Amino acid sequence: MHIPDAFIPIYQGAIYWVIALVFVFLAVRWAKNEMNEEKLPLVAVLAAAIFAIQSFNLPVSMGTSGHLVGGALAAIILGSPFAAVFILTMVLIVQGVLFGDGGITTMGANIINMGVIGGFVGFYSYKGIKAATKSMPVSAFIAAWLACLIPALACAVEMFIAGTFPLMEGLVAMGIYHAIIGVIEGVITVAAIYLIMNVRPDLVDNGVKPVKKVSAV
Amino acid sequence: MMDNRTFLIVGLVISLLVGCIAVFMASSDPDGLESTALVVQGDKTLTGAAHEDAEIHEVTEGRFSYESPMPDYALGEEMGSAGGLVAILAGTILAFLAVLGLVYVMKAPGKSV
Repeated sequence: MHIPDAFIPIYQGAIYWVIALVFVFLAVRWAKNEMNEEKLPLVAVLAAAIFAIQSFNLPVSMGTSGHLVGGALAAIILGSPFAAVFILTMVLIVQGVLFGDGGITTMGANIINMGVIGGFVGFYSYKGIKAATKSMPVSAFIAAWLACLIPALACAVEMFIAGTFPLMEGLVAMGIYHAIIGVIEGVITVAAIYLIMNVRPDLVDNGVKPVKKVSAV
Repeated sequence: MMDNRTFLIVGLVISLLVGCIAVFMASSDPDGLESTALVVQGDKTLTGAAHEDAEIHEVTEGRFSYESPMPDYALGEEMGSAGGLVAILAGTILAFLAVLGLVYVMKAPGKSV
């Protein structure tokens, strides 16, 4: 759902940029406070992995394809929605500047959709569903699915404000496509959490167990 | 348990492998946003495939435009898959280094990372 420059008038893009910068500022502050030599490798690897996997479009039927966005994954694993803002911002800068995937004037909107909305929806729905179901895979799957669907609907509203899509048609199409793409988001998010929990259980801040200090082997 | 350095290397290698496979296997169908644009302009039904040569009509007047150095994750037609590989590997490594670099700069004054 990377919005290209042509889809939003410059002045609206500027407004989204201003809002995005507030969250980027908070995300940088999160990184400054939270980053230590244990977490830094995880954040760097997640940025690389999310970049790589975002280039991997999978067919989702109906002549459409989609890929993991990664906002829920980053927020759940690192235990903060600002982790998603931080990582997605870095990925979107590389994608937009080097590859023209997502525009420059629209980068603010893309940061808001995938980083901020994706991260916050992913993180808080994970927390809520986890409290109710006590199940990591169930909560992570639903949280990731929502973290794909809700940003897509937000994107449809932005496209309406920009005069690019009619409201209902945009909401229906964006909603249907991303409800299916969200299944990819859910499966990969759960798999990635399992994978990382297996090799470095101490790094995963997902409320499954208290973080233990493990002495060096 | 994996130490930090091993985790970093294994994680980066897995990411690079995913990127390499993506160059050959990724679907070239339009993504959700592009599909919606095609539906809206009447070149695609909601559940059907778009025409082979359907293109998204982009408004360019009054909109910013930017020529990226590696558009569409490739180095141009003549480079083919090799260009795609270079582009994806460069992007993956850059995303990785950007985080390390930014955190290094942020933490630089007096504090150890």
